Amino acid sequence: MSKYIIRRALSLIPTMFIIVTLSFFLVRFAPGGPFSSEKKVTEQVLQNLLKKYHMDEPLGKQYLRYLGDVLRGDFGPSFRYRDSTVNQLIAQTLPNSMMLGTIALSMALFAGIGVGIVSALKQNRWQDYLAMSFAVVGISIPLFVIGPLLQLILGLKLRWLPISGWITSRDGWKTLILPALTLSFPYFAYIARLSRASILEVLRSDYVRTARAKGLSERVVIGKHVLKGGLLPVVSYLGPAFSGIITGSLVVESVFAIPGIGRVFVQSALNRDYTLIMGEVIMYSLILVTMNFIVDIVYGFLDPRISYK
Amino acid sequence: MSQKLNSAVNEFNQEMKPVSLWADAWKRLRRNKMALVSLWVVGFYALVALAAPFLPLHDYRTQTLSHTNLRPSFKPAGQIALEAVEAQVILLQERVDAGVESLKPNLERTLLEVESLKAALVNDPASKNVYIFGTDYLGRDMLAKTIYGARISMMVGLIGTLTAVLVGVIIGAISGYIGGWLDNLLMRFVDIMYGLPYMLIVIILMALFRKEGQSSIVILFVGIALVSWLTIARVVRGQIISLKNSEFVEAARSMGAGTGRIIFRHLLPNALGVIIIFTSLSLPSFIMSESFLSFLGLGVSAPLSSWGSLVSEGANTMELYPWQLLAPAIEMTIFLFCMNFLGDGLRDALDPQSKNRT
Repeated sequence: MSKYIIRRALSLIPTMFIIVTLSFFLVRFAPGGPFSSEKKVTEQVLQNLLKKYHMDEPLGKQYLRYLGDVLRGDFGPSFRYRDSTVNQLIAQTLPNSMMLGTIALSMALFAGIGVGIVSALKQNRWQDYLAMSFAVVGISIPLFVIGPLLQLILGLKLRWLPISGWITSRDGWKTLILPALTLSFPYFAYIARLSRASILEVLRSDYVRTARAKGLSERVVIGKHVLKGGLLPVVSYLGPAFSGIITGSLVVESVFAIPGIGRVFVQSALNRDYTLIMGEVIMYSLILVTMNFIVDIVYGFLDPRISYK
Repeated sequence: MSQKLNSAVNEFNQEMKPVSLWADAWKRLRRNKMALVSLWVVGFYALVALAAPFLPLHDYRTQTLSHTNLRPSFKPAGQIALEAVEAQVILLQERVDAGVESLKPNLERTLLEVESLKAALVNDPASKNVYIFGTDYLGRDMLAKTIYGARISMMVGLIGTLTAVLVGVIIGAISGYIGGWLDNLLMRFVDIMYGLPYMLIVIILMALFRKEGQSSIVILFVGIALVSWLTIARVVRGQIISLKNSEFVEAARSMGAGTGRIIFRHLLPNALGVIIIFTSLSLPSFIMSESFLSFLGLGVSAPLSSWGSLVSEGANTMELYPWQLLAPAIEMTIFLFCMNFLGDGLRDALDPQSKNRT
């Protein structure tokens, strides 16, 4: 087991290396420099700017320098926000996004698994049909449609909830409800469908029949035997869910004006703030591959059928 | 499966006529009401999108500045505009009567507007236009705009899916059939690509290679297609590997068929089911990706518009003119809804595991 964990951890290194390399060269070969859209500067000023950002050096040297910086956890200065470094911008915004993402994912998990269990146990009854039609809606509607619609109905028409802002504003924690609902909805729907399907499968399996034949109470059969096997697919879905929550947060943070890393990322893409884009992509990828790694390991512990060699 | 096809009795001892996979799948799909309705709806969308230039629509680019932000209605536009302005007059009159002197010039201007709209009702042919989805902030017809937006979205979805399927099938087939170091190399590559946060890579591509004020739709295609062939490549590879040692392939080889012929004539048709399922399920996800980028301002740019950019535009004005958000949002949701149902229906119909079960 520990051997597998080490090997799996080592495999993260080439992935991260490729991401750093890819984003570096993509950015360097892109048409138009980071300074091209500014008002005309003299040759001398341009030279000084290039020198400041080490862009006058040969490409190979720049690349090695960037690799070294990234290894030390330094993403350099931002091209657009002259007074701050990429690290500062990430440090200011990442905690907000993490909070939103964690809340949304836990909501999706608890509600999704709960609804999944209920509709599996009440298969083909109205509870099941209701939950599953709701889930299809959740999978079909894009986040950027749900977000504005919730704002329109719950925020503007019914005036129940604030439509934008962050916990530091006047409305406090209430500002969290709409974005978290929006972000969690598609994953809630997917998890509900997934857990329903796999619980139904487990319910028909031999070991559940054995458990019932032993005379165990229905509560014990469901709680101890069915759920253990039935929720494994949900664990393996956590990896894709993390990555979905990250991309989804780009839209949700833009819609609800949340000071998170997703909104900064979209802004930096629109502004062509090259160092900021690279830094954020590397940061995102690091979070993603780490989460996938953890999910893989946890899955190995949970599923007795998997043995690592 | 090939054995089962020729037998007259299935595993439940039921008498059965041998039917082709397609006839069987069609039979099953027809029994699925939701999928059938979805098929009709999707067909209707495709027809409208294809025939849009020949339909009696208002031009989606024409700006009628006297008809801005009209609500959806079956009545002629001149009348709706007049009603809106008259309501404003009443509102202003009340305020002026209440003693707000500063609004007096506004009231006079609005009264003049009423006069000119009344005159236009007779003189201007544009006032006879009917906007059943309302108009936008420049007086453009929302119905025409959403239909042309649907054209772009569906085109991106279709081309993206086709590219993904083509590249994925070819790479998957080669990798699966030839095997060895080539298979290893290609699949390691696919593994690494899977590890990348693909939406972020597409966003970088769009951010870097998009030119301001120029249509960036080609980069959008490339960006989305670049990362979307991975799944289908894996699926096709799996199918090919499971089939490549079967008797019919050996028979073909013994008769002197070349690698290309074996792959394309003998192996791929067997994988057609999974390819179709994948295609129908990935079309909506492509449309979602495209609209996602367009919503963020990183997708198609003006004068082109897609569902995503229409929703984004509508979200800005939803407080006062909610139909500008609702029209594209509902239209898009219905389409995605039906595509998902159709995909699920096709999967159930074509899934070989459920074959011949009654």
